[in-house]
Amino acid sequence: MQPLSLDPAQPRRDFLKKLSAASMAALMARAPRASAEVLIQPQATADACIVLWMAGGMAAPETFDPKFYQPFVKGTPVSKILSTFPAIDTAVDNIKICQGLEKIAKVMDRATLIRSAVQPDLGTILHSRHQYHWHTGYVPPQTVAAPHIGAWMSRVLGPRNPVMPAFINIGQRLEGVGESEELKAFTTGGFFGSEFGPMNLPYPADALLAVRPPKGMEPGRFSNRRAFFQKLIDRTPHRDLMSDYQQESMLRSLDSAHRLLSAPEAKAFDLELESKETREAYGDSRFGQGCLLARNLVEKGARFVEVTTEYVPFFQWDTHNDGHEVTERMHREVDAPIARLILDLEERGLLDRTLVVIASEFSRDAMIEGVPGSEAKDQSRAKSDTLEESKHYGLHRHFTGGTSVVMFGGGMKKGHVHGATADERPLIAIKDPVSISDLHATIFTAMGISPKTMYEVERRPFYATEDGNGTAVKEIFA
Amino acid sequence: MLSGLLLGMSLVPALSAPDFVHEVAPILDKHCSKCHMDKMKGGLSMNTEESFREGSEDGPIVESAHPEKSLLLERITTDDEDERMPPKGKGLNSAEVEVVRAWLQDGAKWEPGFAFKKPAYDPPLRPRNPTLPAVVDGRANPIDRIIDHYLAEKNQPRPEPLDDSTFLRRVHLDLTGLLPDADEVTAFLANKSAGKREELVDRLLADKTAYTEHWLTFWNDLLRNDYVGTGYIDGGRKQISGWLYQALHDNMPYDQFVRALVAPSPDNEGFANGIKWRGTVSAAQTTPLQFAQSVGQSFLGINLKCASCHDSFVDRWKLSEAYGLAAIFSDEPMELYRCDKPTGKMAKPAWLFPELGTVDASQPKAERLKQLAALITAPENGRTQRAITNRLWQRLMGRGIVHPVDAMQSPPWNDDLLDYLGFNLRENHYDLKQTLRLICLSQAYQSKTETFGKAPQESSYVFNGPYAKRMTAEEFTDAIWQICGTAPAKFDAPVKREASGVTPTMLNRKPVWIWSDTNPAQAGAKLSLRKRFKLTKVPEAAFAVVGVDNQFELYVNGQKAGEGADWQQPSSIMLRQHLVAGDNEFLLVATNLGSEPNLAGALFHALLKQDGKWAELVSDGGWEVSPTLPDSNGNFKTPPTDWKEATVIASNPWAEATNAVGSQLDAMSAPQVMVRAALLKSDLLMRTLGRPNREQIVSTRPDDLTTLEAMDLNNGAILDQRLAEGAQALLKKFPSSAALASYVWRSALSREPSSDELQLAMSLLGPKPDITATQDFLWGIFMLPEFQIIR
Repeated sequence: MQPLSLDPAQPRRDFLKKLSAASMAALMARAPRASAEVLIQPQATADACIVLWMAGGMAAPETFDPKFYQPFVKGTPVSKILSTFPAIDTAVDNIKICQGLEKIAKVMDRATLIRSAVQPDLGTILHSRHQYHWHTGYVPPQTVAAPHIGAWMSRVLGPRNPVMPAFINIGQRLEGVGESEELKAFTTGGFFGSEFGPMNLPYPADALLAVRPPKGMEPGRFSNRRAFFQKLIDRTPHRDLMSDYQQESMLRSLDSAHRLLSAPEAKAFDLELESKETREAYGDSRFGQGCLLARNLVEKGARFVEVTTEYVPFFQWDTHNDGHEVTERMHREVDAPIARLILDLEERGLLDRTLVVIASEFSRDAMIEGVPGSEAKDQSRAKSDTLEESKHYGLHRHFTGGTSVVMFGGGMKKGHVHGATADERPLIAIKDPVSISDLHATIFTAMGISPKTMYEVERRPFYATEDGNGTAVKEIFA
Repeated sequence: MLSGLLLGMSLVPALSAPDFVHEVAPILDKHCSKCHMDKMKGGLSMNTEESFREGSEDGPIVESAHPEKSLLLERITTDDEDERMPPKGKGLNSAEVEVVRAWLQDGAKWEPGFAFKKPAYDPPLRPRNPTLPAVVDGRANPIDRIIDHYLAEKNQPRPEPLDDSTFLRRVHLDLTGLLPDADEVTAFLANKSAGKREELVDRLLADKTAYTEHWLTFWNDLLRNDYVGTGYIDGGRKQISGWLYQALHDNMPYDQFVRALVAPSPDNEGFANGIKWRGTVSAAQTTPLQFAQSVGQSFLGINLKCASCHDSFVDRWKLSEAYGLAAIFSDEPMELYRCDKPTGKMAKPAWLFPELGTVDASQPKAERLKQLAALITAPENGRTQRAITNRLWQRLMGRGIVHPVDAMQSPPWNDDLLDYLGFNLRENHYDLKQTLRLICLSQAYQSKTETFGKAPQESSYVFNGPYAKRMTAEEFTDAIWQICGTAPAKFDAPVKREASGVTPTMLNRKPVWIWSDTNPAQAGAKLSLRKRFKLTKVPEAAFAVVGVDNQFELYVNGQKAGEGADWQQPSSIMLRQHLVAGDNEFLLVATNLGSEPNLAGALFHALLKQDGKWAELVSDGGWEVSPTLPDSNGNFKTPPTDWKEATVIASNPWAEATNAVGSQLDAMSAPQVMVRAALLKSDLLMRTLGRPNREQIVSTRPDDLTTLEAMDLNNGAILDQRLAEGAQALLKKFPSSAALASYVWRSALSREPSSDELQLAMSLLGPKPDITATQDFLWGIFMLPEFQIIR
């Protein structure tokens, strides 16, 4: 399928008839455009994208949008809790973030901080639905399998380096974890097909296994096996099928798969090759190691890499009790590796053309779920009107009214704040709210993909942003 | 006004009747064709007089009684920006308007037979029994009669016939999802009988379990059914697996099958009920709309997804029609939402093809659904018949007669073929297996697959043989298990697999409970019970079900064979490995528990298979008992001399245990049917190989092996593990390379290796292969396009 779109001036009904399915070879490269096409792709300010996914609902007032600080004092009404961490200075005069993120604070002068990202009201605030929405740009349920934004990038832009998988997903286990079915539903190439789906690396330390012979097989045996296979192909009695395209296509895929294993790029998957100092700088959490892995993969030509702290219901950022304590731990987990990743990319001259995005599916509040006026459903496992124990202390309720997104590099302004949230509860976005569609439009535009880019599936136009309506936030582009 | 000679000019006074072909048609073509000829904007097609007179969604555009009031005229003369036609550009000039006005006043006459374009294809609704072309060259299968004629008309040669080896492999996979095993390959290739292919097809279709567990995948995909998935987490989704399995097993007629799903009962309502999501969903995704979309797609091959939000831009379906179906299902009256905004109009429960009948909107839901089900499966509803037979054709032949299979509004590449198959299904009382049989027995099916130099161009398709198909994830997984004998023992699907072995009604002997004559026996009493018998040779299979109140050990010829500690659960015990030709002995050492004297007893029923027949040995008065006990190894220090005839217990206080014996024997004697991948939850490897996430209905799977998938085959852990297990199992059976190679070629590729291939295999395996060499050999075979692509 060719990427096509509409002339914004034409009524949507008059979209163009499509060309027939392209061959496999064309799919791998950036497909040539039809002459009737009128879509103008934006000038890319980034070649690669790294999403640092703070899965589970990262509380903005506890990280990038500090509010009135309430220390733990027994008997304090819970309604007084806006932030449980005091604000600290950053490398940018007018930006403060929360204590615990000191290293990130030092690199905020490379950042654009969006404080007004918002999510739609879906009736109840569920991780699964908002995660799906964030990752695909569409609210589930959908009548077709919506592709992940990484798949969009792989599909439209193709790989940067043909040997390196374009779309890599690090840190999220997809089997044997809670809500794994819901996770798998959006961690996919969708209707683009698995050619554009993610390479999944849940354990960064084991990433090299993805580019090595199977565990226990020495390289010699591995290449003998391949040689045997090639000879087997040569000796097949079915000579008439040798040039059959389906056979050729299959052999080509097997060939490409093998190439990565013997390519120098495969080294990017092996964290053991890094110095002890580097590995320590990124920390020993899976997320930290994942950031290091992402750096290497992008350096060697990956197009889109997502690294997550991992969604595990009621764990990590999904704080439904003991929020302060757990968030303190999460600060420690993410602060060093994120800062180091930015610095390393900068040092390697990659930061300008790599868009790094820190985001989460929604934020948190101590008191209110959702948006004002919604029925406050009980989200806190530690219910109390006053602070009595540490388990009451923290932000425990899902909140979609105002979320923080941090962007580095990729053509974004440096040391910039966009939008604002209220200082009194509810902490909704009061200035320049940014919807998911517009957020994606911004990310896609930075990568050189128009938010109106469209593919046809089951004769329905399917756009990179919902209905092609996403508008990039121009103010944050440098 | 000019008079006199009119040389090639048709200058006609404005008020006399214009010439349709030369004056009116060019105007319509110039100003209206873009939207109202190929397309049907606003529901108006001007292709033919008929469609022109039918009008638009706003009604007829020609007012015959008052031509001045015609909508057509209104629209081409209005100043209203939103109403004017055409909507853009200058529109008709005043001269052109006058021509149209005069034409309308004259009755808007058309040249008879005139059409602007070929009318957009509208698939027929009713079934049709086409007249079959004459039989040529004795190729009497109706499919061949049609296709032979089609090819002759197109001056195309017939595709070449398929050799036995390729046919054997393809038909096995297509009908049962399993490969022919090595012995069957040898036998089939050597078989010289003319009817062997037909006999094979019939045998495969009669294998109920294999058929069911293969087509389960097709139906799981098409009915959006899975054992895990989104929506189960909060009870918003329900499986139909148990019901579906049974329906396939019983070869439920298709019309009955569809009616059961459309007007469901609790065990199969999961399809109709869709997935109920927590929170609010878009209006087009409420469960009633899901019902309309699912029923439309799965059974009618109609895409109602577009029409769930607005009148479709690409075909005839309107928002009100999608909602009409939805409202049949809905518990509450439904308001129409257009693009997620309320319209203020209410939906009226209605069926899509009123020509066939209607659904009574005033009836309660259950009755409405029954009526809908009857309409979908009405004998006159050819669309349902064609939709399913087209799908089956696609499964077997690799490409539908209508392509894609969910786009039944597209023209078939041969309507006689499509119509015939649909009609034939109805004639066969909707027996899907008959359709499969008909296709498999055709020469069209039994032809070589088309090969292409590059990806085939869909727009100019001409049938030239079946398409090659990619092995599905399930077929690939099953093949490895089948070849190596390493299928798992457990499965996930909540279905009842057939245990058809020796059913209780086939047993001739009846075991009875026996003990010594001291009964009730003391608490703690022990007893030896033995039976001696002769065998001419070791049986092919032997096992027993033993129940003792309260505990026992069983020794066979001095070897401990099994034990039991719960009289309510008789034990199933394998015996074969302990039996010998000649004299044999069963020895039960039983213990009676309790705190005071109570009734004790032992029940024994053994089945032994010799020369394909089952012989039975049961507990009865012919057993002997002795209070003397053997040691813990079942050996007597000195053989007892006090053996007495066992006492048969007249009453049967252990009735339940007695009844269980029959079904346990049944289960043990059933041929061991391999667990199939279709019965398991998807895993990483299956996903890699294309098994879909069934959150949406899936009717076709991707054709190609992607690079990411290839990477997983190259070094993924699951495949590697399976190959290791497989190598280990195979080496036990085939310690020699030559035998191993021949077996693998036959069981994987349905042929013997060529001498070149064999030499290559031998050089890898060596004379006596080890596990790693075998593993790598297997990998090479399984990666072959010849293995993964079904020709």
